Amino acid sequence: MGLGRTRIAVDGLRVDDGLMLHIYGLCKAYGRLQALQGVDLDAQAGEIVALLGPNGAGKTTLVSIVAGLRKADSGVVEVDGMDALRRSADVRRRIGLAPQDLGMYPVVSVRHNLQLFGELAGVRRTELKARIDEVAEGLAITDLLDRKGGELSGGQKRRVHTAIALLHRPRLLLLDEATTGADVETRGHILELVRELAAGGSAVLYSTHYLTEVETLGSNAAFLDHGRVIARGAVRELIAAHAEPVVELVFEGDVPPIPVRGAAVDGQRVRIPAPDPAATLVEVIPQVPPGALSAVEIVRPSLESVYLTLTGRRYDEADREGAPDEEKEGKRSVTTQ
Amino acid sequence: MSLRNSLAILRHELRVMWTDPSTVIFVIAMPLVMVALMKQLFALALRDEGFAGANGSEFAVPAMAVGFAAFGVGYAGFTFFRDHGWGTWDRLRATPASSVDIMVGKVLPTVAVTFVQLGVLFTLGGPLFGLRVSGSWVALGLLSAVLALALSAFGMLVTAITRTMNQLNAVGSTGGMAMAMLGGAWVPVATMPGWAQVIAPALPTYWAMEGFRDVILAGAGVRSVATPVLAMAGFGALYTAIAAWRFRFEDSKVYYG
Repeated sequence: MGLGRTRIAVDGLRVDDGLMLHIYGLCKAYGRLQALQGVDLDAQAGEIVALLGPNGAGKTTLVSIVAGLRKADSGVVEVDGMDALRRSADVRRRIGLAPQDLGMYPVVSVRHNLQLFGELAGVRRTELKARIDEVAEGLAITDLLDRKGGELSGGQKRRVHTAIALLHRPRLLLLDEATTGADVETRGHILELVRELAAGGSAVLYSTHYLTEVETLGSNAAFLDHGRVIARGAVRELIAAHAEPVVELVFEGDVPPIPVRGAAVDGQRVRIPAPDPAATLVEVIPQVPPGALSAVEIVRPSLESVYLTLTGRRYDEADREGAPDEEKEGKRSVTTQ
Repeated sequence: MSLRNSLAILRHELRVMWTDPSTVIFVIAMPLVMVALMKQLFALALRDEGFAGANGSEFAVPAMAVGFAAFGVGYAGFTFFRDHGWGTWDRLRATPASSVDIMVGKVLPTVAVTFVQLGVLFTLGGPLFGLRVSGSWVALGLLSAVLALALSAFGMLVTAITRTMNQLNAVGSTGGMAMAMLGGAWVPVATMPGWAQVIAPALPTYWAMEGFRDVILAGAGVRSVATPVLAMAGFGALYTAIAAWRFRFEDSKVYYG
């Protein structure tokens, strides 16, 4: 799974000095549920790796183990050449974590929140003020520094939450669903900062289930599905290797027989793989009974179609299947693109 | 262990505490009210024991101080549950601060509050209630400090074995109350039933009351309170050891609030 110059020895130990994160054969079970089933994943210094997968794919478990918050059942996790599973202070000093759930002290100011976590991350008190100002500017929270955490809006909290992870310029940044519930402006700030941090030589493991966000970010990606990495590479390469355009026909009533190779019926929709969509439409449209068709769409290849090709399942459907019960029942509002 | 990390957490906890000082004010003000109410009752008990000149504050002040200090053992645990509720627990754990750093930084404010609470009551006991300390004030301070440590250690033990805020409140407050009652902070041990008198020495509150009584009524100095100090330190060490054994930093705790 490694990129370019990385080589992995048989015993799973890393042999490449440019490697910031090395995961090999990582397994974790919760009772009978196998959350991770032998995950192999690397991230180089300066690389953004988007960890993709629907709800329940194992992303948060993976990030939590790398951050030292959960214990692995077996496997190897190295951060900057050090054993991360021993959860030493040296490893944690190199890691910045923004967990999925927002975390800050609501009764004290944003500045005090940043001061506490900056001090604990090892930033010297003499440097801390300048560093807080720098990160605050990057995430547009300078005006919020003297407000209490509990007084902020959801998007503002998300920015402060992310800022906490960046104060000590971590060598490995772990962002778990960093933009969930964030407004467009917040999302833009976070993504820009992720790019800057990577440009400065840090590795970023960016867990998300928003595929279009990753396409925008132009990062490398790893698909996690049922606790396994099923694809890894640059987004463009993944799309080129695993996806092609699809012509989608939507019918008003019963779907008539469409005698075209590869056509798949899903409810009132028919999807037809189409390397040349125009040619496919010219072939198909004459076979459709008059008045039966309500819409035609050419679906460009994307990470979503990569997931469909690799797993045979639509990404949004898998996402709903893996969502917590309250999300399925609509009890909790979930922001989607 | 990193003292720097513990101090950073300690400062932060004091800052959080300062945003809502009502709990601290309550645990200092209420015992003063209770002393005023119960002083006469204890005066009779002490005169029966042969302390002819006693005005009741000699028992009421340390008794209410110990009672309310024990009643607040859950506060140390509250800060752990609160961090789970605020999503800051995992953030703390992901920092280079070790488990011991976090534990020490979170418990020391409770130790400090308990110590201040005891100190304020003994200091105001003279001008408000006519309390006369016939022994050493240093011994009184030493007993207060060790009691604060032992009770905070008990608070950690309660935190380690409870999973929800309701459990913490129930076990912390009833456990603290039972510890105060059976230790002789509500009524003198000599007036309790035989079975309770057998149990009493198994509690740090008993040794605190014995030490305070010796200093206030019998003129004891630092050396004379060595036994109660060592006993309370022993209980503190025992509670700490059990808390460390039972505490699971990776377990989630359920916070309501």
